[in-house]
Amino acid sequence: MPYAPRAMKKLHAFSLLAISVLACAPLLRGAETPTITISKSDKLAVAIGTLSGADGAQVAKILQNDLAMSGFFNLVPAASAGFVIGGTSSGASLAGSVTDRAGKTVLSQTFSGTPRGKVHAFADEIIETLTGNKGFANTKVAFVASRSGHKEIYVADADGSGVQQLTNDANISVGPRLSPDGRTLVYTGYKSGYADVYEIELGSGARSRIIKFPGTNTGASYSPDGRQLAVILSKDGNPELYTTGAGGGGARRLTRTTGVESTPTWSPDGGEIIYSSDDRGTPQLFRIPSGGGTGRLISTGHSYNTEPNWSPDGKKIAFTVRAGGGFSVAILDLAGGGARIAAGGEGPVWGADSRHLIFADGGSLILLDAQTGQRTTVVSGFGKISEPTWSR
Amino acid sequence: MKMHRFLPLAIAAFFALAFTACVNGKKNTGGGGGSDGDFVNGTPLPERQEGVSFLGSNVDRSKFRPVYFGFDSVAVDGGERGKINEVADFLKSGSNTLILAGFTDERGTPDYNRGLGERRAQAVREALIIAGADASKIQTVSFGAEMPAATGGGESAWAQNRRAEFGVVR
Repeated sequence: MPYAPRAMKKLHAFSLLAISVLACAPLLRGAETPTITISKSDKLAVAIGTLSGADGAQVAKILQNDLAMSGFFNLVPAASAGFVIGGTSSGASLAGSVTDRAGKTVLSQTFSGTPRGKVHAFADEIIETLTGNKGFANTKVAFVASRSGHKEIYVADADGSGVQQLTNDANISVGPRLSPDGRTLVYTGYKSGYADVYEIELGSGARSRIIKFPGTNTGASYSPDGRQLAVILSKDGNPELYTTGAGGGGARRLTRTTGVESTPTWSPDGGEIIYSSDDRGTPQLFRIPSGGGTGRLISTGHSYNTEPNWSPDGKKIAFTVRAGGGFSVAILDLAGGGARIAAGGEGPVWGADSRHLIFADGGSLILLDAQTGQRTTVVSGFGKISEPTWSR
Repeated sequence: MKMHRFLPLAIAAFFALAFTACVNGKKNTGGGGGSDGDFVNGTPLPERQEGVSFLGSNVDRSKFRPVYFGFDSVAVDGGERGKINEVADFLKSGSNTLILAGFTDERGTPDYNRGLGERRAQAVREALIIAGADASKIQTVSFGAEMPAATGGGESAWAQNRRAEFGVVR
């Protein structure tokens, strides 16, 4: 949900400009390959002032990167900045502040946590306070990587720092999905010789096998409130879409087809699920009430559509299309209009701001600003990367 | 090999079918004599046997040759009928159980490939049941595009990877 801007009248001009550009975007999407350029004047000019404390320089570096990555700011010298950011970092806490040109404090708050986490939290607070948008700096990404010679699950900060190997199964560990709050992760593992769903509690590292029906159990994906999973089970004779509780119990069947269902994604209010099904020949996207009903086809204009991901604001889906021997990331506005190709790559997942996407492209994890087209490589050097997931 | 000669034709035919399906919105299940795609519900799987894994030493993967599939297809071709009958007869004549493992080539996205591989294993299972095998003796697993039989790109390798293997439990 968008937060109401908490700053002064001066901000409203910037907000109006940003909103009018964002509003134009869906109209432009109807055209062939629209490029929407946000000029420098659409961004807020901010400066990073004094960050004191033992790790002040490190804090400044992380902060600068987080703010630049958000797409909302130009980082400028203090003299030409609309807002100056400062703070004191000591141990596990960071006392951060933002002042305007007149010297008035618009944000003053203390952030605690891990050395990087407290800075990411500060960055998100700056973004929300100054722009009214939700930031994604203090979120986690997880993905499959093959560096060890086996497919294992890795987790990192959204800026790609602190990459940590989460599984060491020396087997096949795939299909990770972070819970929206980033505290747990479900994935598909083959330790039993079958495809089963495992859950890892990220804080403690505790792992349990939560879904192990006969046949193949895969595609597990958390509902927005974290209390349910959508999952693909083949126990009844065919891979179909089901929902279960977050602990894997209480399976309820949603589809009844001769085809293959895969990769479900939930609407932000938890009322619907969009999934891929090849029941009509090639994999297409369908939407179905999460409590049960009939799947309705979503027209995309492409013949092969998988891996849908629903934006947190509910307005768009990103998904993978296959064309010309390769995979591309497509975006579709659910209110109407066709899909547009945003980049070459696969497995797109939305960030908390409903503006940025992360997807896999060979050996790279790419951050894409879907509004400007700006791309940043956030992770590389871990072998082939696939199936990213992003907490909110 | 006989199969390679017909493969380009089969692929072209399938593309034509798939395109038609996309345009008409209907699913064309292709040949297969009704043994693969005409079950809305399929036959539910039995409980797994404890301690038995397709990847384990108590499963023989090489006793029977795999069933092969066309691109993006789960249709059990008429030419595979001989293999199906041979395995069904084997199961009927003894007490062995079976794990069918489904695989795909690399040209799809991962979770769809896991489902496609499973669908192939289950299509072969249905064919075995129709040929008289006991459904409660047959399990399925899918590895998607993992564990390819042939590495490298190109149709020759891909054709070898689109398969369902028979894992005989000793």
